[in-house]
This record gives sequence, C-alpha cells and structure tokens, in this order.
Amino acid sequence: MSKFKQAMETYRKRPLSLFLRIVVIAAAVITAFILGAIIIYILVKGIPNLSPELFAWEYNTDNVSMTPAIINTILMVLLTLVFAAPIGIFSAIYLVEYAKRGNKLVNIIRMTTETLAGIPSIVYGLFGYLMFVIAMHWGYSFIAGALTLAIMVLPTIMRTTEEALKAVPDSYRDGSFGLGAGRLRTVFQVVLPSAIPGILSGVILSIGRIVGETAALIFTAGTIAAIPASVMNSGRTLAIHMYALLNEGLYMNQAYATAVVLLVMVIIINGISGLIAKAFSKRTGEK
Amino acid sequence: MKRKKIFTLGLVAALGAMTVLAGCGNNAAENNNASAAQQEDGGNGASAPSGAISVVSREEGSGTRGAFTELFGVEQEDADGNKVDMTTTAAEVTNSTAVMMTTVAGNDNAIGYISLGSLDDSVKAVKIDGVEPSVDTVADGTYKVARPFNVVYKDGLSDVAQDFLNYIMSEEGQAVIAEDGYISQPAEGSYTASGLSGDVSVAGSSSVTPVMEKLAEAYQKLNPDVNIEVQQSDSTTGVTSAQEGACDIGMASRELKDSETGVESKVIAMDGIAVIVNNNNSITDLTSDQVKQIFMGEVTDWSELAK
Amino acid sequence: MKKAKETVMHIVFLVAACVSIFAVALICIFLFGNGIPAIGKIGLGHFISGMDWKPLNNIFGIFPMIIGSIYVTAGAIIVGVPIGILCAVYMAKFCPKGLYKIFKPAINLMAGIPSIVYGFFGLVVLVPIVQNMHGGSGKGVLAASVLLGIMILPTIISVSESAIRAVPNYYFEGALALGDTKERSIFCAVLPAAKSGIMAGVILGIGRAIGETMAVIMVAGNQPILPDSLFSGVRTLTANIVLEMGYATDLHRQALIATGVVLFVFILIINILFSLLNRRSGDKA
Repeated sequence: MSKFKQAMETYRKRPLSLFLRIVVIAAAVITAFILGAIIIYILVKGIPNLSPELFAWEYNTDNVSMTPAIINTILMVLLTLVFAAPIGIFSAIYLVEYAKRGNKLVNIIRMTTETLAGIPSIVYGLFGYLMFVIAMHWGYSFIAGALTLAIMVLPTIMRTTEEALKAVPDSYRDGSFGLGAGRLRTVFQVVLPSAIPGILSGVILSIGRIVGETAALIFTAGTIAAIPASVMNSGRTLAIHMYALLNEGLYMNQAYATAVVLLVMVIIINGISGLIAKAFSKRTGEK
Repeated sequence: MKRKKIFTLGLVAALGAMTVLAGCGNNAAENNNASAAQQEDGGNGASAPSGAISVVSREEGSGTRGAFTELFGVEQEDADGNKVDMTTTAAEVTNSTAVMMTTVAGNDNAIGYISLGSLDDSVKAVKIDGVEPSVDTVADGTYKVARPFNVVYKDGLSDVAQDFLNYIMSEEGQAVIAEDGYISQPAEGSYTASGLSGDVSVAGSSSVTPVMEKLAEAYQKLNPDVNIEVQQSDSTTGVTSAQEGACDIGMASRELKDSETGVESKVIAMDGIAVIVNNNNSITDLTSDQVKQIFMGEVTDWSELAK
Repeated sequence: MKKAKETVMHIVFLVAACVSIFAVALICIFLFGNGIPAIGKIGLGHFISGMDWKPLNNIFGIFPMIIGSIYVTAGAIIVGVPIGILCAVYMAKFCPKGLYKIFKPAINLMAGIPSIVYGFFGLVVLVPIVQNMHGGSGKGVLAASVLLGIMILPTIISVSESAIRAVPNYYFEGALALGDTKERSIFCAVLPAAKSGIMAGVILGIGRAIGETMAVIMVAGNQPILPDSLFSGVRTLTANIVLEMGYATDLHRQALIATGVVLFVFILIINILFSLLNRRSGDKA
C-alpha cells in the first residue's frame, strides 16, 4: 500500500508524468479495444453461419463451399514458395556469404529489394496482369498468381534470411574453414542449419501475406471456385472467395463465415511462427 | 499492486470509451429526431423523409450502371452526339452489390440500384411509375427498368459449348433461370442429354455469373463428362475474351456496344434493376423522372420529393 | 571438380540475388511501357492536374485521386501514429509480463487480418458511427482515415517497440538516477534515442496506407471529386484502379495503368526519402 501511496504522491507532484502514463495506457487500451471489436465482430457474424455444407468437397451455388478455396490457398502458398523461397534464400546467401563489402551490385540489390518491399499489392496485381496474363498469354491462371506473389514476398524472405545468416557467429565459419571445408560446404552444412529458424519465420511471414492477399490476385489468378486441374487454370484463394461472395451480395452470411476461417488460419500461422521463435531462442540460449 | 492499478485504469478507460461511443449514438438519434420535428414544422407531411439524399452508384463501365443510366435517361447526348453519363459526381461509387446493399441498409437517406435477382429484405425496392419490380412485371413489360443477360460467342463454337448453349435456351435451362428470380426467354424445345464430354469456359459479367453457375451445375448433372468453368469478371471482359477466343462463351449484362463486333450474341434472360432505399424510408413510389433527377444531382433532398 | 561446383553455385547465388533487380526492371518496363503512352496521349498536365475523371467521355484527370490519397494517408498518420507509438511504449516499458504474452500475439494477429475483412468491418461498424456523428452517408475521408489508421497500427507498434527495446538500458537508468520519473525518463531519454527506428515504422505505415486498396474502397465513397471536408467522399489512386480495371478498354485501361504508375512513383519517392533519412542518421551515429 505504501508503495502505491508513494507513487500517487510522486504523480501529484509531477502531473505531467501522470498525464503521460494515462496517455500511454489509454493508447494500449484503445488498441486492445479496436482489436477486440474486430475479432468479436467477425466471430459474432461468422460463427452462426458456419455449417457443414460450407465445407462440402465441391463448390456449387447451393452450398457455396469454401473447401476448394481453402485447398487453393494451400496450393497457392506452396507454389509461391517453390519460386520465392529458393531465390530469396540464395540471394541472402549471396549477400551475406559471398559478396564483398561495399560491392556496388550489393547496393543495387539492397535498393531494389527495398523498392519491392514498398510496392503496393495493387501495383503487383497490375504488373502480373500485364506481364503474365496478357503478355505471356497465360490468361487468369494459378501460375500467374503464384509468380506475382513470389515477387511480392521475395523481399520478406530475403531480409529475414539475411538477418538469420548474419546472426550465425563467424566462429562457426572459421571453424569449418579451418577443418578444410570449402565455402559451399560451410554454407550448406554449417551456416544454413543454424539459421533455419530465422529463415522459417520469414517464410511464415510470407505465408501470412499470401493468405490475406486479394488485390494482387483478382487480376492474375482469377476467381474460379474449383481446385485447378493444372497451374494454367484459374482458381480462387480464400480471400478472393470472400471478395467474390461479397461482390454479388447473395452470400453475405457465407462471406462472414469465410472471414472466421481466414481468421483461424491467420491464428494458426502466427502460432506456428511463435513456436518456431521459441524453439530458436531456446537453442541459442543453450549455446 | 501495480498490476491492479493498471487494470483499474484500463477498465476506467474502456468504460470511458464506451460511454463516448454510446453518447455519440444518442446524440445522433436526437439530432435525427430534431430534424424530423423541424420538417413537420415546415409543413411537409409528417411521414415525409427528409435530409440530403445519399446517392450510391455503381462504377463506370459496370453493366448494371450502363443499363440503369440508359433506361432512366441519366445518359444524355451532348452537342456532338456523344452519349454522356450524367450521374452526379457527388454519388458514392462502389463495385460490389454487397457494399451497395449494406450501404443502403445502413443509411436512412441512401438510394441505390441493384439487380432484381440480388434483392432481399435488408433494403426496400421502390415502385417505378407505380409498378412494383418483380419477375412478373418485368416479364409482361410493365416494369420498364430491365436489361438483357447476353451470352456472346464466336462462330464455330465447339460441340460441347453449342450443346450447353442449347441447354440454356431449352425449357429445362429456362426453368433454372426463372427459379433463380430472373426472367426467362421463350424456350426452344426441350433438352436431352447429349453424352458429350469436354471443357467449356464461360467468362464475364459478375451479374450473370450466379445464374450461369446454376445453369452449369444443372447441365453437368445431365452431362457428367463435361466440365464448365465460370470466371467472374465483368461484361466488357466477357465480350473481349469471347472475341479473343480466351473463353468459349462470354457473358454480358447489357446490350452489346456498336464497337463490339465479330461475335454472335443471344439473350438468355432478362433482369430487372431495382431502385432500392432504406427500409425506414417512407417513400414507396418514385416516377422515373424523379429517379433521373436524383441521380443527376438535380434533386438533392428527400423533402423536395414529398408532395 | 569441387572447384567447378563452387563456381557454379557462386553463379547460382549471384543470379538469384539479381532476380530482385530483374523483377524491379520488369515491373518498371511493363508499368511504364503501358502507362507512359497513355499519359502522352492525355498530356501529362491534363492527366496529373485534371479535375475531372469521366473515362467514358475520354476525360482523364486524376488530381482529385492524388489529393484523395494524400488526405487519407495523412489522416491515417494522424490517427495511427500517436496511438501506435504510445502503444509501443506501453508494450516495451509498462506492460506486465503476463499481459504481454497475450498482447504481443494479438498485435501480430491484427497485422495478419486480411484487408478485405477490415474493409467490411469499417463498412458495417465505422461508417454508421460517422453517419451518426455527422449525418450524410458516413463514407469519406474520416471513415477511411480512421480505418487506415487502425490498419497501420500493428506495423507502427511492432517496429517502434523493437526500436525502443534496442535503446541501451543505461539511457533509461541514467535518467531515472537523475531523479526523473519513469514516464519522463522514457519520453525524454529513451524515445529520442529510438527516433530513427520509430521513423522507419511510420514510413512503413505510410507505405501501407497509401497502397491499401480493398479496405479503402468500401469506406471511402469513391466519388472522383476533390474532398472539401472530413465527411466528403473521396477516391484514392488505388480505388480508382480496382473499381474500373475490369471494365476498361483501350485508353481507359491505359489511363488506369498510368494511375498505377503515379502510385508507383509516389512509393519510389517515399522510399528515396526514407533511405536519405537513414543515411543522414547513419552519418550522425
């Protein structure tokens, strides 16, 4: 109690401090309040509309099933990562392990990566449409969407991998070189394994972005509500599914239910990334 | 101790926020009442709606908007004979029927328009020149605000696509259309399953998409070996894709433009356009002139419409 | 043999690293290649400073949209930045550990909610509130600003929080030792030291706000006019593209792509300003 009184006394003497404290706490409360409102809003509107038909295997206009969209979302994530992950990780390896300091090329790569990171998704959508859909004559297709998204998430993967590689102590590399291993072997057998949790967290960040993306996909992957037979066919992800449901105003309730599923997906993705981060910090803690 | 304090502060702040929000709501309600009362003093009928009209429109190029502006004469010819869409620039624009309906449902003073097939009880469709919009009134031509759902295709349609088209125009296909709340066209005989197999791609207007999906499903039930893909975009894309051969059949929710050549078109259904207002709006009947004036920005307050 | 493998992989890494350069080049080529001719046809002056957007009558002026984007982004900053920074301070310095374990993932969740969900939330919750406050439709600068302010919160909070945490503890302890209260120590010693990191968060937030599409389109009203008040409807550059891209043909389509070019140039300017800022603070350090 005395501590509390003491604090109150201090605040009486220094009203500015009290004011600052209140403002800070108010900001946190407002943030929590808004987030709570959004989540409650989604759950209240969505959960009553969740029904088994919404998860039927095939989409038709009676059940408005989101199963194909969920599978498409997973396929889209995989296909995008097939392109983005190796390129992102390899370029980070180049930047950290191979490039010499002050190399002009490195500066250019850094600059372009930053530019890529700043481009709004709608501009990616336009680009993907112009390049893959029109110029390459692929039409609305899965591959066009995946390539567009791959460019979009490339900077995220590059940056997190770079950070993870930099965090690997130089002693590891020196040790490996000392044992007579070449640079390549050092990278793949010594440096990369210790950087894996960091790299994974970047990949998961990207997955989150792919799952929530709409603007870049409506112009590239199209809106067909079926699992595509090949990468040249169109297919809608869950976020696009929700957009399409809202478009005609016929399936508002189902759209809300879709929002719940999207939310759950995001929570799962975030949960996995949290687990990985924890595993990472535990491991470094041991060392 | 400290945690308890923070908790208390947080609680106080949360309560404060709620009171403020609640306060806003009350104030606004009072304001509304006040303005309604004023209106009564002004001598207008007690039930007459008042306040600035919030006009909600679809985006330029939308088939629904094209048909709406044309049918109500909001589209006018300028001195050079070009057709000019005169929709007021103060009109809100949305590219989604859901946003349109949510907006009108949430705003007492809003007016908008949607496809008759999308209409539900969250909003109220007004009579135009005394005619209730419904499947029957559109079919017998008394409700004038209707537009065709067209399919467009190039010569030399594949057998499967032609068969699907035959199905759409058959008694069975037209029954699906009527069941969905659209106005069917004279049927061309009954349909028997062909047993063909193959792929058909259909693309275009988002207004036609829902009924086209229904048609495709019914057709696929009869012909399980045929796979029909329906790509939802818009009328113009539908026509262009059909022209370029990117899809077999294009969908357009409006008449074809003079510049859109090289393709055959066929009306598969008619769709009424309902002018919608908020459920709290006492207006049930508008003349087409009034609608035109509202959308051209000549009438900007509901009280001007009260007679 | 081993040497050859090394060389090959070196080249592979190098090529991978150049993909981003290649991608930026492609984006520039395709956007500028399709957009610049349209700007040329319309005339740069007419396009950038034209007040009317009537694509069906071949009048393409995007000045109202440029101003709209700037207004809405500025509004988002006014709403989002103070709350975001203060919230970051709370999380870094005041938050009890137990609460932090819930709060931190919650903020991450907020960052992961798809923008289309935010948009609908804005349409159904925020717009009616604005409507009740002022009357009218409720859609417009204010609703869009508040919604974008909310959407950029997680970005600003996480970046600012790590910036505040990166400030060495002796700044804080030193100020405390000099007899300052905890609050004053934070605001007068720690925050100034974390300035450049916080700025980075703010600029990321600006980038997100200016590029946001799907949410803004539902709450902004999208009238192609110059907004004259907080409640007036507004159309942003991004909304312009999404609204009409599907329908557009010929010059109209090119004009929309040119709108994308203008947006792209905006982002480039922000990025360049940011790297200049970074360089300057880097020199100081």
